[in-house]
Amino acid sequence: MSRARGRVHIPASLSQIDRPLPKQSMYFDGTQQMMLEMRRGRLLVLSGLFMSVFLLIGIRLIDLTVLSDDRTVRVSQVENGLAPIPIRRGLVDRNGNIIAADLRTVSLYADARDIQDPKTAAEALIRVLPHLNKANLETKLASKRPFVWIERDLAPKQHAAVLSLGLAGLHFQADRRRVYPNGPLIAQVVGYVGIDNDGLAGLEKSLDDDLLKEDDPTPVTLTLDLRVQHVLREELMKSMVAFHAIAASGLVMDVNTGEVLAMVSLPDFDPNEFQSATNNEKFNRVTLGVYEMGSTFKAFNTAMVLDAGVAGLEDKFDATKPYETGGRMIHDLHGENKWLTVTEIFKHSSNIGSARMAHLAGVDVQTEFLQRLGLFDAPRLEVPELGRPLLPAKWGPTETATVSYGHGISVTPLQTVVAMAALVNGGFEVHPTLVRDEVEPSELRKRVVKEMTSRQMRRLMREVVLDGTASRADVPGYSVAGKTGTAEKAAAGGYLKKALLSSFVGVFPSEKPRYIVLAMLDEPKGTTETYGYRTAGWNAAPTVGNVVRRMAPIMGMRPIYEPGIKPGAQIAAAE
Amino acid sequence: MSSYTYGETGREVPLWQKFREIDWWLIFLLCAVAAVGFIMLYSTGWDIAKQMRDPSRALTHLTRFSIALVLMFIVALVDVRVWMSLAYPAYAAALILLIGVELFGTVGMGAQRWLLIGPIRVQPSEVMKIALVLSLARYLHGLTVDEVSRIKTLAPAVLMILLPVALIFRQPDLGTALLLLMGGAALLFLAGLSWRIVAVASVLGGVAAGFAWRFLLQDYQKQRVLTALNPDSDPLGAGYHIAQSKIAIGAGGLFGKGFGNGSQSQLNFLPEKHTDFIFTMLAEEWGLIGALTLLVLYLLILFRGLSIAMSSRHHFGRMVSMGVMFTFFLYVAINTAMVMGLIPVVGVPLPLVSYGGTVMMTIMIGMGLVMSVHIHRDIDVPRHSGAFW
Repeated sequence: MSRARGRVHIPASLSQIDRPLPKQSMYFDGTQQMMLEMRRGRLLVLSGLFMSVFLLIGIRLIDLTVLSDDRTVRVSQVENGLAPIPIRRGLVDRNGNIIAADLRTVSLYADARDIQDPKTAAEALIRVLPHLNKANLETKLASKRPFVWIERDLAPKQHAAVLSLGLAGLHFQADRRRVYPNGPLIAQVVGYVGIDNDGLAGLEKSLDDDLLKEDDPTPVTLTLDLRVQHVLREELMKSMVAFHAIAASGLVMDVNTGEVLAMVSLPDFDPNEFQSATNNEKFNRVTLGVYEMGSTFKAFNTAMVLDAGVAGLEDKFDATKPYETGGRMIHDLHGENKWLTVTEIFKHSSNIGSARMAHLAGVDVQTEFLQRLGLFDAPRLEVPELGRPLLPAKWGPTETATVSYGHGISVTPLQTVVAMAALVNGGFEVHPTLVRDEVEPSELRKRVVKEMTSRQMRRLMREVVLDGTASRADVPGYSVAGKTGTAEKAAAGGYLKKALLSSFVGVFPSEKPRYIVLAMLDEPKGTTETYGYRTAGWNAAPTVGNVVRRMAPIMGMRPIYEPGIKPGAQIAAAE
Repeated sequence: MSSYTYGETGREVPLWQKFREIDWWLIFLLCAVAAVGFIMLYSTGWDIAKQMRDPSRALTHLTRFSIALVLMFIVALVDVRVWMSLAYPAYAAALILLIGVELFGTVGMGAQRWLLIGPIRVQPSEVMKIALVLSLARYLHGLTVDEVSRIKTLAPAVLMILLPVALIFRQPDLGTALLLLMGGAALLFLAGLSWRIVAVASVLGGVAAGFAWRFLLQDYQKQRVLTALNPDSDPLGAGYHIAQSKIAIGAGGLFGKGFGNGSQSQLNFLPEKHTDFIFTMLAEEWGLIGALTLLVLYLLILFRGLSIAMSSRHHFGRMVSMGVMFTFFLYVAINTAMVMGLIPVVGVPLPLVSYGGTVMMTIMIGMGLVMSVHIHRDIDVPRHSGAFW
């Protein structure tokens, strides 16, 4: 208390920082007065703190701005000392071709205070950088500003030309630029970077940490093959134009290792100029879009029945008339109106038969099998743009029926292909990847389907091409097998009969598959060549055929001609 | 609700007279600082891709400040005793919101700080900044100098500080937690806490900091502290912000590069340039002169606040003004020291200059309270108006 009392007697000069204390009021009791006085001391301590902290900050400010170095040293610190934009590792395809690389550039600025004659300086600069605006340049150079930009990212030739002008007051700053020499070829998959060289989308985003590793200058090798990517993109573009589709997408994957060789989503964009790309163009339909895949799912349905031992290839199901289940009528596109074997149901893509097969197996077998194929979870891949499947809210007999032929469930094309790969590669789970180092050793693969089932599925899918809906996918010598899918696009409250999504998943060669190829067309229209048909067999299937025809020789695969087909016709077709 | 009735001890002041009592000098200073913010945000609006200046941020800043200014006037004209009676309910509400964020908060930028109430996003830690100042002021108002240093009467105040600090630390938001802790401690000190306790608390605080370092801090927080001590050790990693910021400030020199000409900031070498690192940009474009001018403006606001605190006849008013001003001081000091590499990077904006509405509202409501204290400085608020009601 005595200490506190001592504090009451603050010298008047110190305490009168602003205005004198208000006049002693009759309401004031002694204690309160004392308290106010004593706390005034504390207030002074605090204002002392304010002052000293601000003084410290002020001194630091002076130290940084004026005392540290002279101006030129500071500018050169920017130029040479610290690379202002982090260095990113490059990306190359499986053959070492550059997909993305950092380019060192220089940017030109002027200290206008050192420019002696703005008019001649501007004229000289225009001679080497003719695209600059002369009037604008002159104003900049005459501005007396210590820092004005002249031009960003000069080419080495331009850099040398400006240097040789020998003008005082012009300076360069080290810059970096991410370039994608292939332009739009691998748009969505590789993604793009922002102004700070940080990944914003695609592999550039998901591999950001890896790409910014400072001590490692080697590029990251992807599983992509630029040649195959080019073939796939070109064929999809041709088909998109020919069938007046609003979008197209495709995928080529190694059916055993899961290496993605090519992935295309059209319309696409140039990652060098991603700012002007629309969201529609940035959208990766293969990994992010989820679709009702339609009849393609009949492959899963058939494999399920065979794998679970519910029915054999020759067992028959009643497809004589439309099948009513849960108050819903299931029709066939081309009704055979008879009892069909499992083989026939698959080959002729019968909805009725598929639904009956699924009902025989039951809800539990169906959901367990689809889950085992990875169709209930988000797909796995190194890109960040991955779409989760849309599953039925409740799973009853109606859903079992519709899912059997690919409706009422939406998945990404990527996982459709991955699940299909497991059906044909001998029955092993596939982990798709875009990065070479992530490829899984084959001995670690997990079996998800019996080897027998896989063999049967390969035969069935080959039948579809030889004598079913996908004859236009065949490539003599490469024995393509596959399954078509034509889905009506779902819209609010129902399906759009007019708008279709046609797809074909093909594998080749059918006996010992190496690659799986997907082509998908969004809202293809009928043409005179297709006799007005819009179904997958007429557009998506031949697209895959064209891709196979062009990529197989690139991958060093020899054609093998099957017995029983006239060799002459095959050779003619191959040419 | 309150144990004293309105106008019981003081005289009723007519509204027009209250208007005359407004400290226009303080208003002018606040507007001047906000104007600096406007100019800097206009300068950051340069879009390299489009080669165009986008004024939207600057205009939003202006709109927000105008709204905040109106809010400040409203707060200022309400009798200070009303605020006093609302102190504890406000604290309780803020505490409930903080617990709510713990349970239902949305996670933004890796931390759980926001609470969605209908369409409104509330940041409870911001509400708490004001509520804590009010309730501490109210509590300390009821204590004698001796009672401040007595454990029995000191404990509730300490608890009042530590409860929200602990909750905010868990979010995790180290910056705000420290801000509240320092602000609360400063009020206790101002209330006359004996030097002995101050010394003991400092030692304990040091031990606690060591403990926190060992067990509580997240890795990224530790990394920030370490790089602040030696930013050049990792110029492209965690030290990147600080290194870039220092270069930019250095490049400004005495008079700066001129409006819109800061190469470091304009070229996006500097991250967060419109929020936490806006002071860097000011220093680069307007040089030492510009940066010092802003610091002087801040200092003038602080001393204006101090003199308002001094002239208040009631302890509550003093505590409130000092609490608000000390928080304001912490914002300025932490932000500027941070961008110049004196202390670790903590996400604290520069008040009224950085882009962002929440902190601006907090600051201006706080300033409204200070103004209310100023207008109602001659009202007597008896000590025994009840520490608890």
